[in-house]
Amino acid sequence: MSGPPFVFLLLFFVAPSVIMVLASFRYPGEFGGLAPLFADTQTLHGLTVETYEFFFSDIIYGYVFLKSIFVALATTLICLLLAYPLALLIARSPKKSRDLMVLLVVLPFASNFLVRVYAWMIILGPQAAFSQAVNGVLALFGMEPVHLLFSPFAVLVGMVYVHLPFMVLPLYTNLEKHDPALLDAAQDLGANVWHRFWRVTFPLSLPGIFSGSALVFIPVLGMFAIPDILGGTGDMLIGNLIKEQFLGTRDWPFGSTLSIMLTVTVLLIVWLTTRLAGRGRHYA
Amino acid sequence: MKDICHREHRVHRECSRAAGSSGFLCDLCALCGLWFVLSFVPAQATDTLHLYNWNNYISDATVARFEVECNCRVVQDYYSDNEEMLAKLAAGASGYDLIVPTGNAMESLIRQRALRPLDKSLLPKLGSIEPAYMNTVFDPGNRYSVPYAYTLTLIGYNDAKMRELQLPVDSWAVIFEPHYLEKLKGRVTVLDSQRELLAAALKYLGYSANDTNEEHWKQARDLIIRAKPYWAAFNASSYIKELTVGNIWLVLGYSNDIFQADLDAQKAQRGFRILASIPKEGAVLALDSMVLHKSGPRPDLAHRFIDFMLDGRNSSELTNLIGSGNPNRAARQYIQPEIAQSPAVFPDKAQQVRLEMLRDLDRHQRRVLSRIWTEIKLK
Amino acid sequence: MRRGPWLWAAALAVYAFLYLPLAIVVVYSFNDSRLNAEWVGFTLHWYDVLIHDEEMLLAAGNSLFIAFVSAFVATLLGTMAGMAIHRYDLKLLNFMALTPVAMPEILLGVSLLLFFIQVLNLTLGMLSIVLAHITFSIGFVAVIVRARLAGMDDSLFEAARDLGASPWETFRYVTFPLILPAVIAGGLMAFTLSIDDFVITFFTAGVGVQTLPLRIYSMIKIAVTPEVNAVSTLLMLLTLSMIVLASRFAPDVLKGKT
Repeated sequence: MSGPPFVFLLLFFVAPSVIMVLASFRYPGEFGGLAPLFADTQTLHGLTVETYEFFFSDIIYGYVFLKSIFVALATTLICLLLAYPLALLIARSPKKSRDLMVLLVVLPFASNFLVRVYAWMIILGPQAAFSQAVNGVLALFGMEPVHLLFSPFAVLVGMVYVHLPFMVLPLYTNLEKHDPALLDAAQDLGANVWHRFWRVTFPLSLPGIFSGSALVFIPVLGMFAIPDILGGTGDMLIGNLIKEQFLGTRDWPFGSTLSIMLTVTVLLIVWLTTRLAGRGRHYA
Repeated sequence: MKDICHREHRVHRECSRAAGSSGFLCDLCALCGLWFVLSFVPAQATDTLHLYNWNNYISDATVARFEVECNCRVVQDYYSDNEEMLAKLAAGASGYDLIVPTGNAMESLIRQRALRPLDKSLLPKLGSIEPAYMNTVFDPGNRYSVPYAYTLTLIGYNDAKMRELQLPVDSWAVIFEPHYLEKLKGRVTVLDSQRELLAAALKYLGYSANDTNEEHWKQARDLIIRAKPYWAAFNASSYIKELTVGNIWLVLGYSNDIFQADLDAQKAQRGFRILASIPKEGAVLALDSMVLHKSGPRPDLAHRFIDFMLDGRNSSELTNLIGSGNPNRAARQYIQPEIAQSPAVFPDKAQQVRLEMLRDLDRHQRRVLSRIWTEIKLK
Repeated sequence: MRRGPWLWAAALAVYAFLYLPLAIVVVYSFNDSRLNAEWVGFTLHWYDVLIHDEEMLLAAGNSLFIAFVSAFVATLLGTMAGMAIHRYDLKLLNFMALTPVAMPEILLGVSLLLFFIQVLNLTLGMLSIVLAHITFSIGFVAVIVRARLAGMDDSLFEAARDLGASPWETFRYVTFPLILPAVIAGGLMAFTLSIDDFVITFFTAGVGVQTLPLRIYSMIKIAVTPEVNAVSTLLMLLTLSMIVLASRFAPDVLKGKT
């Protein structure tokens, strides 16, 4: 029974991953693709680590990774700030209304990813009411009008918007399990609202925070479509760079190297989070 | 998802091996069925010409007339960038009878031996192409290609605004020099194309658009990085709309897009014109030619199509539609006078001298250019 | 007290943040203006344009076909995987099914592109898209089926066997009817994922085959007209009904438990 899915995934997930690792040690073909492994002519062939040398010889690529990590972190944090009150409210609502409230979080998911990004193109466009209102307020303070669309701001908004439900759901699942008696006890012991949140609810919700953060952070790290659509002159993330190597520059080995570096980054971050999450549970 | 991953599971005892194997059989049958179904999907009607062309680069009327004349169907796929087209062909796209690449991309295709030589006995009207556009460095003797149309990469501007601000539009300086750009902050877009932007910068610095000296590339990079804070975006084609609406006043763009923007602005009675100018430092001319791809099953139809497009009236329709340059002398009499007189569509002899066609880059140069582009995007 | 006014206000603001953009897309699909800027007047013009847009219809047809085929195969394989992982605690298979879902999408996209071209020498098109979609859908189906199995009492199956049912009969008359809702929900999820997928399709599509998301992408990048809003609105309705249907069969799908 496990045979067919195993074979299928071996063929279409494991094998391609292995091929990608191999491709990163090849030369690019003269017209794209990969240079031949064996050739009797003068053309470049065989295996090489030149793509890795190229990657590490220039600080610029490290900078692209750092920038992408920064964007992913910012997105995760904003998602957390927006998702927490919502998840908390849902978890503390009467059982009957909870399902509906969760459904309302999931429903925007029913629209295509590109449609959700496109919506922000409309809202942030220079003639849209929102942009004009923002610039109207800025004008009151004698400030220059700003362009909201095609900017880092637009990219961040798009990222948060698309990934928000990934944060709400795990948080809610966690918060729902909390025993209200704990809060009663804390109240009886004289803790005010603020204390009750920071000393009881928040530490208990750390596992939810960590799983939500992973679900937001990882996809944002590899995203290329949102900077592509909403970004301006400076919004290049790892995803865009990888896409460019395959669909523009025709440099597959370097594209593979970048993909492997992205994989390593993701694995490192997952490992770190799991360790932190372990500690979080401990603390709770 | 996480919860499930972490949830512990007790192993269920050795239930039903038989169920497993019959499940596998089912699966096998289903897969066979799937292959069966899929193998029928690509089946096409017999007389079909597959055309891989630029986005919006042929008039629907022309296609419809050709379909009647040859009693066949024309199926089109589109690209918006030569690099995209080459990358997709490198990724195994096939089945195209006819492609319309720009010179440098064509050069690459010829060197890859991906093209089929033309049978000129099937192209009696070939002589109507202006000699200036024949026998290019990309395809000496036109063994593989017949010129289709050309576009220039130049400065497009909102005439009213540029007059009001008293800015010169005859030099790339207005795109690259901060003292001009200060008045235009956030009102300028440039093409989202590594080659075109680099070429304009190289031209402004007094080098050839095809200069591959890395030092010169770095100077061009620094020029671009200095100007970038004033630009609103790198843009592939939505600048047409932005020019029409009046959000953007100055672009580094393609001549036919600027023509389109002007047309739209007049139609919407915007009260300003969108004009184009060839900078005095020179610019890039992109000559697009019809070539036969080896993977195409119908070279006969492809030749008929080329012959059809060599006809003056058919060829003129594209120019009248999108304002592209036309290398076909027989087309002149059908072209609207306003377009025929526009120097951005038909540059005079003096201007032609300043125009350059881009050559292809090798793999090393491509990688270096990609890194420079990354630096430009990040800084 | 526990649900103070501030909490309500914050939560309502987030709900508004989630819904206003989509509402704008829908509203502007009825706007009688080429520009998505100000409201001019009501029209169904863009829907009319849409149903006469042959390329769009072709893309929609492709999307539906790909979604049907890939959902069918992914449901089959995913159900098997889910059952196998549940019964034999197969850590490796579990990892293989879930990783394509958990990694950034672009990685699966480019590695499949490399694999199809360099190893299989396959011309990118319908088949490559279907294979790619099956790859990332298996994990979702497996998770849903496994969650269902985990929630059931194992003694049911033992009882069936004690009563003399053969393994096949146990599967046919006990296990299968019990997991059927999860299988259907998984299939609907796979269908939705396939019809919505952009990134992986983008890398595995080649040039001949357009899908709805690819078409929307090129419209957004090249020439935006409210036709995009119209097709978005219809697509929203379709996936919405799919998800609601899926939740009928397995309510957990919508509760964040999968």
